[in-house]
Amino acid sequence: MSSVIEKRVTPSSDDQYREAAELIAAYGHAMDDGKIDLWPQFFTPSGVYHITTKENQDAGLPIGIMRCVGRGMMIDRVKAFHTANIFEPHSYNHVVGHPTMSYDKATGCVMARSNFQVVRIMESGRMDLFAAGKYLDVIQREGGSLKFRERVVVLDSRNVDILLVVPL
Amino acid sequence: MLTTPQPSSAPARPELDFKWPAEGITRAPYRLFTDPEIYQLEQERIFRGRSWNFLCLDVDIPKAGDYRTTTIGETPVIVTRDHDGEVHAMVNRCAHKGALVCLKKQDNVANLTCVYHAWNYGLDGQLKGVAFRNGLRGQGGMPSDFDVAKHRLQPIRTEKFCGMIFGTFSEQVENVEAYLGADMAQFIKRNLDRPLRVLGTHSQTIHNNWKLYAENLRDSYHATLLHTFYTTFKVNRLDMDGGIILSDEKWHHVSFARRAKLQEAAEYSEAKVHSASYESALEGPGLLEAWEEFDDGITHSIQTVFPNMCIQFTLNSLAIRFFAPKGVDKTELFWIYLGYDRDSEEQSQMRIMQSNLTGAAGLVSLEDGCINEFVQRGTRNDPECASFMEMGGRVAESEKNSRATETAVRGFWQGYRGIMGF
Repeated sequence: MSSVIEKRVTPSSDDQYREAAELIAAYGHAMDDGKIDLWPQFFTPSGVYHITTKENQDAGLPIGIMRCVGRGMMIDRVKAFHTANIFEPHSYNHVVGHPTMSYDKATGCVMARSNFQVVRIMESGRMDLFAAGKYLDVIQREGGSLKFRERVVVLDSRNVDILLVVPL
Repeated sequence: MLTTPQPSSAPARPELDFKWPAEGITRAPYRLFTDPEIYQLEQERIFRGRSWNFLCLDVDIPKAGDYRTTTIGETPVIVTRDHDGEVHAMVNRCAHKGALVCLKKQDNVANLTCVYHAWNYGLDGQLKGVAFRNGLRGQGGMPSDFDVAKHRLQPIRTEKFCGMIFGTFSEQVENVEAYLGADMAQFIKRNLDRPLRVLGTHSQTIHNNWKLYAENLRDSYHATLLHTFYTTFKVNRLDMDGGIILSDEKWHHVSFARRAKLQEAAEYSEAKVHSASYESALEGPGLLEAWEEFDDGITHSIQTVFPNMCIQFTLNSLAIRFFAPKGVDKTELFWIYLGYDRDSEEQSQMRIMQSNLTGAAGLVSLEDGCINEFVQRGTRNDPECASFMEMGGRVAESEKNSRATETAVRGFWQGYRGIMGF
């Protein structure tokens, strides 16, 4: 941790870290509250969202489980969720750990890693541990607020139970 | 003669009390999806019987000493490459006490050693050494007539075809190409007969009997009804022409959609790259950036190989799907996304984006992750009832002009009845 703290070279990076932590928390809360329509707004217009597995990441393989490049593809995902895709109704509960962060002065981006677990709740009342892994984020200021320039979701398991339609 | 006992192919139980409905292959009794006795019989008659099973890709074990673990039915299997480049497959079960020998998905090893008592095997599965064979300080040890040459990991016959390694317990089954038949083999060659590159993998647990997924893959009737992504986004599909080809034994199939020829001539004769791009209402149209890879105009295809694999070509998204039974009502579906060694960076990128169409989060097909479970849950309490499958007729024959048919599903059941003796 000390190396990360040493990187806090400017007072403003403290604010960046606090804001970045809020962005990470707000994202999980939005998903858990079913506000999937807000999802693309958490990203910069050309932001990248990628869900993959640890196995693929370790092997350097480019295809994971979901990949959106740019908000347009995220908006399409949301529309497909509402009107095209068929699945049993369910919701998530994210538990996101405290992020470790560093500040890249050259780009003005915050790099963050946080671990997460997601419980999936079915309408029958059944609850399962659906996903565990880490978020690898590149967070950038856009307009007045921080957004994800890149959010890579690395699942620890290669296996997805049933299907994945709501972004993690 | 091996002293390792080999499983007998003769059923060691009283005859199953099961009769197929008189209507034949237009009906599948729900009991087939829930009965543990039938499930056990399938392990014996299908997976350990006269079938070729997908094990892994040749490129998954490129170097000497590489191994990969998988399953044939529920039997754990090891696939290795030895120092002569030869591929071997064997049951992942020590000849001593029966423990798993290899625990990882893949590794590179000098030999195969069971962790329990350190019995040591060559990459071909032949026993090489036994710990304390001569005892300790003159005490214990194996009997003097113990011969390592008489013990080995149970071998599985293997064969390579188009970069895939298949395995079988059967000495009787014909070679892979004959097992596939001419039409099926030819289409696999179209898709896979060149150096392959793995682009990514994941798996999905689906809570249904493996045969419901086998049916689902062959069910061209449901495609546009359950999966509405293309229609929702008004994807301009010029590829309405298509059909279904069944293998001679009816249990493998290819279902394909072809780009209408008129449009092809008018719009796509000039530029080859990007020529297959689709007009749509997508906000992110980069998803469907595509190029025409083959001259036959086929844009989408699904090809099944009995019992439990399929090859998809969705635009340029090439993948092998392998679905492993994990109990009577649970199946693990593996997605292996592929490209070719020769792909340009631009082509790789298109395959990567199009991978969004299928898989556990596939925009076009994620419904298949739950639909078979809905059937499992809907049918489990009524084993004596049966499904009704007469769309497109009552027989299993190739259908060159329409995909609004259940002919390939009936074909699956025809093959299944044959191998199961039902």
